Amino acid sequence: MFQNFRLSMAWLHTWFGLVLGFVLMVVFFYGSLSVFDREIDRWAIPSSRFAPQPMPSFDTILAPAFQKMQPAKEAVALLEGRVNGPLPERFEVVNSWGAYTTHRDPVVSVFAGFKVPNAKDPDETVFAVHALDPRSGAVLPQGQLRIGSEFFYPLHYSLHLTWKDLGYWIVGFSALMMLAALVSGVVMHRKIFREFFTFRRHKTVQRGALDLHNLTGVVALPFHFFFAFTGLVIFAGIYFPVAHTQLHDLHELHERVEARETGLPHERAGVAAPMASVDKMVAQAQRRWEAKGMAGDVGFVNVTHVGDANAYVSVYRAGTDRVALTGEGIHFKATTGELLRKDPPRTAVDSVNEFLTGLHLQHFRHWMLRWLYVLGGLLGCVCIATGFLFFVEKRKQQHAKAGGQGARIVDALAVTTVTGMLIATMAMLVANRLLPESLADKGEWERTVFWSAWGVAMVHAFVRGGAVARAGMNPAWREQCWLVAAGAMTAVVSNALTTGDHLARTISTGYWPVAGVDLSLLATAVVSVLVARKLARRAEQSTASATSTPLPKGGALGASMKNAEASHG
Amino acid sequence: MVDPIVLLGGAAVSAVIGFGWLALAMDTHWEQVHGETSPSPAAVRALRVAGALALAVSLVFCLGADHPSMAALVWLMLLAGSATAIAATLSWQPRWLRLLWLRRGGDGR
Amino acid sequence: MTDTATTAPPVSAGAAGAGRRSARGLPWALLSRIGAAVLGGYAFCWGFIALAHSGLYALGMPFHDGEHLSAILGVLLYLVVFLWTFAARRTGVTWAVLLAGGGVMTGAAALIQRALLG
Repeated sequence: MFQNFRLSMAWLHTWFGLVLGFVLMVVFFYGSLSVFDREIDRWAIPSSRFAPQPMPSFDTILAPAFQKMQPAKEAVALLEGRVNGPLPERFEVVNSWGAYTTHRDPVVSVFAGFKVPNAKDPDETVFAVHALDPRSGAVLPQGQLRIGSEFFYPLHYSLHLTWKDLGYWIVGFSALMMLAALVSGVVMHRKIFREFFTFRRHKTVQRGALDLHNLTGVVALPFHFFFAFTGLVIFAGIYFPVAHTQLHDLHELHERVEARETGLPHERAGVAAPMASVDKMVAQAQRRWEAKGMAGDVGFVNVTHVGDANAYVSVYRAGTDRVALTGEGIHFKATTGELLRKDPPRTAVDSVNEFLTGLHLQHFRHWMLRWLYVLGGLLGCVCIATGFLFFVEKRKQQHAKAGGQGARIVDALAVTTVTGMLIATMAMLVANRLLPESLADKGEWERTVFWSAWGVAMVHAFVRGGAVARAGMNPAWREQCWLVAAGAMTAVVSNALTTGDHLARTISTGYWPVAGVDLSLLATAVVSVLVARKLARRAEQSTASATSTPLPKGGALGASMKNAEASHG
Repeated sequence: MVDPIVLLGGAAVSAVIGFGWLALAMDTHWEQVHGETSPSPAAVRALRVAGALALAVSLVFCLGADHPSMAALVWLMLLAGSATAIAATLSWQPRWLRLLWLRRGGDGR
Repeated sequence: MTDTATTAPPVSAGAAGAGRRSARGLPWALLSRIGAAVLGGYAFCWGFIALAHSGLYALGMPFHDGEHLSAILGVLLYLVVFLWTFAARRTGVTWAVLLAGGGVMTGAAALIQRALLG
C-alpha cells in the first residue's frame, strides 16, 4: 500500500492527525486550563474566594456533615435497571466516607459511598459528593458549577460524553493517535536538529505554519509524549478492564488474600458500633510521619465500613513536595483508634506508576512547574492548530481549481476548534458573571451558553468560509479573534463589577487565584487583538493585489495576482 | 541554603543562554544574528560545548531547588520554554542575541 | 517532512493504492489496514495485558503492581503494534499475527488464572 516506511508514517500522521486533531485540540486546551482548574473555580464562585485551609477537624466539622449526606437524585436515577426491586428513599448503609483537601483548594471535597440494597452487582455503590467550607462545615450550594474542576477538567478527559463512556474512549484513542503522530512526525521530520529553532515567519503561510508545527512539536516532545502516555495509563482500567472481566476471579482472590495480610477487613461484621475520635487518629498519623522525617499535611481521610464494628480509618499524606501522589497511608481501627497497619514502602513498580500518574495529575505544590505545564499544553495546541493550517494551505489551490470543498471544510472545522473553542470559553465565563448568583441550576445555564456559543461559532466559520474554496483566507479567523478579545475583556470587567475583586485589589492583597485568571484573560485579549490585526493587514495586502475582487482603494494589479495566489488569500 | 526561587531563576537563565549558544553554532542562525558571516569552526565547537554546559548547569540548579523527581520535570519544561524563547527571538529580534557571542573581526570570511 | 508538490496522500502507483476505490466504491484495503491497527491491535494488547498481569501475579508480584506494569507496557505495545500495522507490507499478515497472538495470550492468561484459583 505504501512504498516505504517513511511514506506510511506520513500518511498516518496526516490523516489520523487531521481527524483526531480536532479532539486533541480540545483535550490539550482544556487540559492546560485544568492546571489551574481550582483557581478558575474561585473566579467562578465568589463565595469560595478565601484562602486554602488545612484538613478540618473530622469529629466537629466533617462528621456532622457526613451524617447529613445522601446521594443526589441524578446519581440514584442512574441505578435504574441495576436493582432487583424498588430503590429506597434513604440509603442507610454507608460503605465509605472520604474527605480530600489540596493546598490549592479552600474547600474540602467530601464524598460518601452508599451500599445499594437489592443490587444486581453486590459491590454496587452510589455516591454523594459535596464541597464544604472547612471553616464551618457548611455545604456549598450545589447549583453553582465549579467551572474549572467540574466542567473544563472533565471536558478534557471525557468530552462530557458519558453515555457508555464514549467520550473516554474517543479521548483515549486520540491520545494513542497523539503518540503515533509524535513518532511518525519524528520519522518524517528529516531536519529535526537543523531546524530546531527555525521559524520562517516571513515566508508563505504554508512554510511558516509547517515551521511552527515542527518547532512546537519538537521543543516540547517529552511533554507531549508523556502527557498522552500517562493519560492512557491513568485510564487503562477503562480501556483494558482485564482485572474486572477476564481476571475478575483472580482479583477477588487477591482481595481476600490482601485483607488477611493487611488486617483491613474486606467485609462488614454486620454489628453496629460507634467511632472513636478520628481527630486523635489523624494527629497520631502526623506524628508518625514526622518521626520518620516526612512531616506533612493530611491530604485524604477515608472511613471504610462506616458505623460497623469492622470499620477502619485511613489517613494519607498530601504529596505536595514530590511528584508521586498521596501516600504514607496509616490505618486505624475505627471503634478504638488502635493502629492496624502502616502502608509499607512502595515497590519499584508502584513508585514508577505513582510517578507517572502524579506527573499528569499534578498534586504537587510548584507554581513554576504548573505554569510551565500550561506553556507545554499551549505549545501542543499551537502544534495541532498549525497542523490544520498547513493541511489547508497545502491543498487549497488544488481544491479551488478542481472545485472541491475539502479545504474549505477542514478550514471551517479548524476555525471552530481553535477560535470557536475560545469563544465558547469566554461566553461561559461572561455568563457566569452576568447570571444572578441565586439562580437555581445556574450551572445548567452556563453549560447551555458554552455549547450554544460554540455551535454559533461553527455556523459562522462555515458560512464565512467561501473564500477558502477560492483559495483565499476565511475571514472568520480574524472575526472570531475580535470576538475572543471582546469576550475576554467583558469577563474581566464583569468580574470587577459583580464582585469588586478587580485587579488592583486582587494583586495588592495577593489573592492570586482570581488575579491570575483575570491576567490570563487580559493576555488572551491582547494576543487575539494582535492576531486579528495581523490577519486584517494580510487580507488588505492580498485584496490590494488581486484582480478578481473589487478594490477598496487603487492597488497594484496584474503581475501581483500570481503573488497573492502563491502566498495566501 | 539558596532560596529555591533564585536557583530556579538561575536554571531558566542558564537554559536560555545555553540554547542561544547552541543556536548560534548553526550557520543560518549565526547569519541572522551577526549578518552575512559564518562562524569559524573553532567558534562552532566552543559554542556547542558552552551550550551543552549551560544546559547541564541548568539541570544542576533544578536539582538544588527540588526533589529529584520534580527537578527532572522542571528542567525538561524549562528546556521547552527556553528553546521556544530563543526561536521566537531569532524570528522577531535576532539582533538581541548579538551579545551572547561577540563576533570577532575577520571571522569566517 | 519536505513540503514537496505531492498534495494527495502518497500511494503506490500499482494496484489497490491507499485511496484507490474498488468497483464497489469503498477503499477496502485501507479500511482493512485501519481495522487491523485498531481492532487487531486492541485484541493483541488485551491478550498481552491479561497474560502479563496473571503471569506476573503467578510469579509473585503484588496484584496491583502486576496490573500497573502490564498496563504501562500494554499501552506502549499498542503504539508499536499500531505503527507496525501501517508500516507492514501486507495487511493480511498483520491481521493474522495480531488476532492469533492476541488469542493465544488471552488463552494462556485464562489457564494461569485457572491454575492459581484451582
